Amino acid sequence: MSAPHQALAVALAERRILIVSGSGGVGKTTTAAALALRAAVRGRRVLVCTIDPSRRLATSLGLETLSDRAREMDIRRFDPAEGGRMWAMTLDTKRTFDTLVERHTPDEAARRRILGNRFYKQVSSALAGSHEYMAMEKLLDLSADERFDLVVLDTPPTRHALDFLEAPERLMGFLDTSVLRWFLKPYFVAGRLTLKVATRTGAFFLKLADRVLGLQFLQDLSEFFLAFEGMYAGFKERAAQVHEVLRRDDAGFVLVAGPSALTLDEALYFHRRLVEREMPFVGFIVNRLHPAAPPSSAGRGPAPDIDDDLGERLVEVFKDYSRLSKAEMKNVARLEDETGAAPVLVPELEGDVHDLDGLHEVGGLLLGAAAAPARRGRTRARPVAAAAGRGAAR
Amino acid sequence: MLLDDLLRRRLVILSGKGGVGKSVVGTALALAARDRGKRVLLIEIDTPVSAARFLGANPSLGHVETEVLPGLFMANLDPRTVMDEYVRETARVDLIARKILENPVYHRFFAAAPGLPELMVLGKIMILEDERVGWPRRPRYDLLIVDAPATGHGLSFLKVPLAASNAVPVGPVGHNARRILSLLRDPRRTALAVVAIPEEMAVVEAIEFAGSAEKELGIETRALILNACHERRFTAAQEMEILALAATDVPGRLAPGVPAAAALTAARHHIRRRKLTQFYLKRLKKAVDAPVVPLPFLFDDRLTRQSLQALAERLEAA
Repeated sequence: MSAPHQALAVALAERRILIVSGSGGVGKTTTAAALALRAAVRGRRVLVCTIDPSRRLATSLGLETLSDRAREMDIRRFDPAEGGRMWAMTLDTKRTFDTLVERHTPDEAARRRILGNRFYKQVSSALAGSHEYMAMEKLLDLSADERFDLVVLDTPPTRHALDFLEAPERLMGFLDTSVLRWFLKPYFVAGRLTLKVATRTGAFFLKLADRVLGLQFLQDLSEFFLAFEGMYAGFKERAAQVHEVLRRDDAGFVLVAGPSALTLDEALYFHRRLVEREMPFVGFIVNRLHPAAPPSSAGRGPAPDIDDDLGERLVEVFKDYSRLSKAEMKNVARLEDETGAAPVLVPELEGDVHDLDGLHEVGGLLLGAAAAPARRGRTRARPVAAAAGRGAAR
Repeated sequence: MLLDDLLRRRLVILSGKGGVGKSVVGTALALAARDRGKRVLLIEIDTPVSAARFLGANPSLGHVETEVLPGLFMANLDPRTVMDEYVRETARVDLIARKILENPVYHRFFAAAPGLPELMVLGKIMILEDERVGWPRRPRYDLLIVDAPATGHGLSFLKVPLAASNAVPVGPVGHNARRILSLLRDPRRTALAVVAIPEEMAVVEAIEFAGSAEKELGIETRALILNACHERRFTAAQEMEILALAATDVPGRLAPGVPAAAALTAARHHIRRRKLTQFYLKRLKKAVDAPVVPLPFLFDDRLTRQSLQALAERLEAA
């Protein structure tokens, strides 16, 4: 096992939280699920959780629906070590938000006031941005859940994953400022709306806010914030805890990228941010490398009997693929040069992965099993490529 | 055909799962529209790496439109800058605007309010669509192409005006949210194009996205663009021959530096991908009631103007 594979294996064996991040389309969800499965097979109790709203994990696991309750997968066929179990779940933003409200409201009346607030309804279910807050809330919940030894968290594409990293700070900053105190002042309460504001800046601000946002909006917002009064201390404490959890020694970030310059740039960017924020970095995974060009000594012996037309086309296709592969290896080398971390490399698979067998195999590749040319002719993508690959099997 | 349909609108929104090459498709579409003599503005939203670099330009992040080629403009909208600009315009008085912009309360409120950045960006897009110049008045841009954030989040991005108008029915926020919504829902002005690649998850999401855009938002998908398609490079008989040969250990070379075994491996890989491409093309056509347009997989690692121009020509021919 090479060093990068080793680092990943150690993290799977020892950490309690692994956050799998990267830009879109690099196989992040599959990677998260594959790592979780391997850790479970090695005897840990593992939960894989996706915060991605499009429910990709469900597809990955060959399930049509995946609830926000941890659901146990049947992994017996992989002959897990003693105690090894695996669960999967997705994040339901609205329900997480409701649970949070229920936990922190002092009484039934306050609870109803919040859950019934027009503004709350939209914020909790529809708006971009709530996902990140709730993902971090869920992460905190899960990190304290005794049922699991390891929680593997899949995240939305890079930019949003960054939002996720920054969500605790953002919320803390927000709760810290006078924004809230300002909104909690009585002049916003419906029916009592006056512009009697103590300071001149305050009055300016209010007038302008009226022009920009409208007093009705501010009133709704104010009611929303008023309804939350009494919960802020709890919220703030949670945000501070997440901040700490993300920096704990037993947490770690796995950054996933594809071999193109673009996605590697994004992985580099993300890595810099992690380092700046002193968050624990485990390693890079580069997925989907195209078949490598052979050494120049290859191809001894008599040439095969192939007609000219086919021969020419084969050479053309070969040249395209080796050009691609060379560029990819150059990109990967740059990643290593700039960060000092050698990535785990995974070849492009012949089909899509969306069942447990496929995930198990990907997990093997991630931990350094030799790539599987032995699978020639077979395909991993069960329902789909069974149809698409039929011709190949003939 | 495809272009005729899309270019008849004022606003084309490209959406799709992350990693499907939306920015490449967007740039190619912008080039194709420009080649037809349109003044085009390609709008990206808060992207660290702008598609403009494919065209050798490097516009800074912000709200200012940069002309990267004659007739082709690009803007990388950053919600904060857009919001600041909005405050400056509304405040009118510099001193007041400065006071607000320098106020930490403003900063933190903006950073923490869910949906507000999205609403601001969409508002800015609406203003750009609305801009008229010269006499007689004509639109500043004939066509705006928006590279929307990835799906999942893409739908919540488009959902923001609906959510905002439900949450705040009266006042400027609700008013503007409804104006944005009516622009998005107007099929004469706006077209939604969903981008995917021939892979299970991207295709599933594209189908879901097209469905929920129509059901939840009332926006119809006008086109589905399947990017990175592997096209046929061998005849059917040749493919059979390759698959038969690839299963054995083939010695020798086909050309200097081209070992036969390696060439067959690459070819087998290509054939598998080509079949998957066919499969997903069919599946999309069955699932979505809009034209499905394939674009070829590009083997260049660094995209150039030429490769994008080639894609633009494919769009023109579609």
